[in-house]
Parts: sequence; structure tokens; C-alpha cells
Amino acid sequence: MKKFIFYFIIASLVFGETKKWDAHSAYLLPQKRWEMGLFQPFRYGYSESIEYSVHPLWFFVMPNFSLKKSQSDIAGFTSAGQYKIVYPTPFLNMIAKAGIMGIIAPDFQIPPLLGLSASWLMSKNMGGMNLTLNSGLDLGVAFGDLDSRSTIDLPLVYHRLGVYYNTWGMHMGADVQKNISEKVGVLADIDLRLLPGLKGNYSLEHKLLLSWYKSENFRVLTGYKFVMGEYPYGSDMRLLPYIPMKETWVPMIEFQWARKKQ
Amino acid sequence: MKKLLSILGVFLILGCDPFVTEFKDLSDAVMYEANSKSNATYDSGNIKVVTWNIRFGIARFPFFGDSCGDDVILDDDTIEKNMATIADSLNLIDADIVLLQEVDVSSKRTGYLDQVQYLLENTNLNYGCYASMWKADFIPSDGIGRIDAGNAILSKYELTDAERIQLRLRTDQDGLTQYFYLRRNIVKAKIPALAQGAKDFYAVDIHATAFATDDTKQQHIDKYVETLAEIHSSGDYFVTGGDLNSVPPGSVTDFCLSDMCDGDDYHTDQAEEYHKEGSYFENFDGEPDILLPLYEAYDAAIDSDDANLPIHLTHGPSTSYEMNEIKYDRKLDYLFTNGIWENISSKTHQAAWELSDHLPVSAVLNVGGE
Repeated sequence: MKKFIFYFIIASLVFGETKKWDAHSAYLLPQKRWEMGLFQPFRYGYSESIEYSVHPLWFFVMPNFSLKKSQSDIAGFTSAGQYKIVYPTPFLNMIAKAGIMGIIAPDFQIPPLLGLSASWLMSKNMGGMNLTLNSGLDLGVAFGDLDSRSTIDLPLVYHRLGVYYNTWGMHMGADVQKNISEKVGVLADIDLRLLPGLKGNYSLEHKLLLSWYKSENFRVLTGYKFVMGEYPYGSDMRLLPYIPMKETWVPMIEFQWARKKQ
Repeated sequence: MKKLLSILGVFLILGCDPFVTEFKDLSDAVMYEANSKSNATYDSGNIKVVTWNIRFGIARFPFFGDSCGDDVILDDDTIEKNMATIADSLNLIDADIVLLQEVDVSSKRTGYLDQVQYLLENTNLNYGCYASMWKADFIPSDGIGRIDAGNAILSKYELTDAERIQLRLRTDQDGLTQYFYLRRNIVKAKIPALAQGAKDFYAVDIHATAFATDDTKQQHIDKYVETLAEIHSSGDYFVTGGDLNSVPPGSVTDFCLSDMCDGDDYHTDQAEEYHKEGSYFENFDGEPDILLPLYEAYDAAIDSDDANLPIHLTHGPSTSYEMNEIKYDRKLDYLFTNGIWENISSKTHQAAWELSDHLPVSAVLNVGGE
């Protein structure tokens, strides 16, 4: 055990490999560089071995914080641990209401909930492609009675909030990123979430994004997300983003900016 | 590359089901069968028919949408208990044909229980057909979430040629509300076992608009009359019924004050709406007599002379009993045929008042009677 703790401390001190525009990988942002997008979190390279991120738009209704810390390489893979904490209660109570945008029935009061997540990330450049593998454990702690009927049974949402109803879950996935020219890159990923014991116990998400790098400080992304899984009502799948009244899929578009703090 | 495009194509097709399901004017109903059937063969004799708006098995739960309550989602155990009691009642009535309204088959509010299949498995009925009136992946209002609710015909005998006939949408709503709102329908099915010689036999089930303040109700009844007239003019038989959300000729037409909830204001100059939606039956010229064409053309299980008698009232909002000790105070549910009912056996099952905000109405068809 002592050996393990010693190894852990030494490993924690090892500086991680840094990389720009690579939120999903084990690579950390270069020190003092920040990146943010319309829908992506604000990320900041705090040091050579620590990166943190928050979703600024969500922060005031769903306080959240994530920390990525480099670890020692394993079998040639750059490794990092990622730890997240989120408090979704204020937001969930905002949408538990009567009338339009009442996503959760007003019958329910959502108690204080705390989401904790720990992931292990491993990245390696293989034949010009960056491969990242990740897996981890999620915990959902409810400080009060959480009524099982208050779930939001929608793709992307159900399984992310499912951890509070199930108290725990697991996730794993793989990302492949490749630059196909100096200005254009492609990212494909697949992620599995498991909530053993919950009605609607898994979801599989796949994303394909094309990125155009205008400069090292700005890029535009477009692509799709495909979600399939088991829900309380049965199996379902959907291609996102989806515009309900038009009944059509449209490509997602994301703008991301970055700077390095002087 | 071809493989990748094929996979993408499959995603696009499978992953792009409509968020809210809209329907053509005429489409197929969804067919059901009990896993184990009993007495599925018709020998001879009269046919018993019942119509019942079962309020998706929530009994007298103070649901926000149709009462003075503000609740939305009932717990699974109570839903199962209610459905078991509804199944027991149907077994007791022992109808050959059951016309149901407000049946949930995959709705968040009722724990995603397929109530059509549940009733087939727990009654002496063997076949069913179902037509959605409200089907959406997610209703972003009042926590309703996913919904699939509609009308169903259940029968001891096989159903064929089941059709969903779309009724006109309300025109007194904005586009966004209308998109997420109900799409009411008539469901019609042939029952070959009950054919009389060359004459086919149909069951027709309707749930007409409740809350429209424009002429939508007139449009719904007109389409209903037209559907029945087509069967009749082809020389075939039908039994029909449902929740017509219309009072019989000669009935009181204004229930605004008795349906009023705490804090509501009607019939005053300050009132936001002078009449309460769904509680007033004179929204347009002729509405009080809207059912006359049905009474005039066909045989009613409960004659128009008797329709307003207390023993034939079929509806009261679910919170009326707690608020005003009213179990039922109007008739909205009907049975008609172009054959002949054994009138002495027609019955409004008022003992079932705690199982829904509507009461079942049953009648026996004199098969072969002209």
C-alpha cells in the first residue's frame, strides 16, 4: 500500500504532455492557455500537470468543476486522471414546474444532489492518429428523497442524470483524432455509459466532428452525435441535433476560441 | 467509404423519427392480440358493447389537465391497481366489444404501461386496435414528457381493416401549442365474425374535442356522422360510441361555476375567460343540439328523452366530489347503432365512478333486429 501511495505521489508530480484543442484526451492544455466554446466548457492550463474546466454558462444554475491531472505514462500511453464534481439541484428545480418548459413535473422537489466522477484517460499517437481510451466511475449522491418518477427520459439527459437515481454508474469510451490537412481535423468517438440495475441501463453515444482551424486561437466544428440506448420506455436512438418542429436533423456547429494568458 | 455512408444512412433513417407524430387523414390503426385467447369464436346471440373513457387508469387522481388538481405523474403501483380494477369491471360487464378512450400505451405519466395490452391480458377480450391521439417523444410542459395516448377498440373476436381517421385540429391555438397538442381521431375496425350474411359489421370509436372554443367540435361530429353514414349507406352494420364531449339535446350547457377551481373567475367582466374551457357547451350556434343528427339517424342506447336523467349522467371532473360532492353531473358518453339495441339492457355503470372521471355505458345489440 505504501509503495502504491509513493508511486501515486511520484506519478502525480510528473509533468503531462500538453496539446491544444484536445479536450477529450489525456493531453493537458499548455500552461496558461485557455480554450472555450459556445457549448464546450472553459478549460485552463493551470500548470504543466493540471488543467481545470468549468461550464461557465451552466455554472450559476448547475455549479460544476472538473480537474485533469497528468499521470505517468503507461505502456507508451500518455495518461491522466480526470475528476468532476457537479451540483445539478438548482437547475433541476428550475425546470420542475407547471406550464411551458416544465421539463420535470411540478409534483417533485429535487433534493440536493452531488455528482462525482473519476476517469482515467490514456492517449497515444498511432500512425498519425491520436487514440484516447477512457474509463471511469460515476457516483450520484442524493441528500434527501429523489422520486424515481422525476427522471427526464430524453437521449443524452436520461443517462447523465440516471446516476443520481442509481447512485452509481460506469463509463468508458474511445476517441480517434486525426489531422487530415494543416487546417482540417476529424474526431470520432464512441462512449458507453452503464447504470447497472436501473430501468434503462445503458447508452451508447457516437460523435463525428470535422474541425477547421482558422488559427491556433479559433476553430469551427461541425458534425453529428448519435445516441442509442435503453430507456424506461424501451430502446431508442436519435441523431442529434434534431429540430422538433422541422422534424429534421441539422449538423451541429460549434465555435471555439483560445488564448494564452501572458 | 461506401460502408461509412451506409452506416450514416442507417443512422439518419433510424435516428430521425419525428419528435411529435403527426398523422395522415387516414392511416392504419395499431393491432393488438392477447397472448392467450379465450372464447374467441362467435356462435350466435346478441352482442354486448361498452364505451368507457378510462382516463388512462389514473381514476380520480387530481391531474392538472382536466380537473382542479395540479399533479401530473401517478405512481406505478396505483396505476396497476387502478388498471386491475378497470379490468375486473370489464370482466363483470362481459362485453363482446369495448370502445375505450384515453388509453395510454407508452406515457411517462402512467409508468409506460401499455394499457391496451394489459387489458387484453387481464380480461376476456382477445383482440384490439389502437389509434394515438397524442404521441410525442417529449412534451416540454408540466413535466408530461413522453406520451402516447389514444382510443382503442377491444373485442372478443378478431378485428380487421382497422383505420385511424384523423379529426381536424383545433384552430384556436398558436402554432407551437398546436404542434405539441392532441390529434384526435376516430378508430374504426371490421369484425368479420359478426357479419350478417353479406353485411359487414364495424365498431367505431371516437373521442371528440373537449376544450376547443372554436367550431372544432362541430367538425368532429360532422366527420363522425359522415363516417357512420358511409357504413350505413353501404348496407353494413355498425356499433359505435365514445366520449363525444357534447351534452344531449335539452341538457344544461353551462357548468363553468360547478367546475370552477379555487382562484378561478368566470361569468364576470373581470374574468380572463368568460367561460371555462370544456365546461361550456354553447360555444357556437347549434352546439346544444349538435347530437341531434345522431339521435335522428340511429338507435341510441340511452334515448334522448332519458339522456339527461340522473341515472344516465356519465361525467364529472375528477375533483368535483372533493370540492362539491358531485360524482357526475352531465352526459358526455354515448352508444349508437344502425341496428337495434335491446333498450331494456342499456346501462350507465355509475357504481364505477371512482375509476375514472367518465362512467362506462353498455348496451346489448339485438343481432338480426331491424
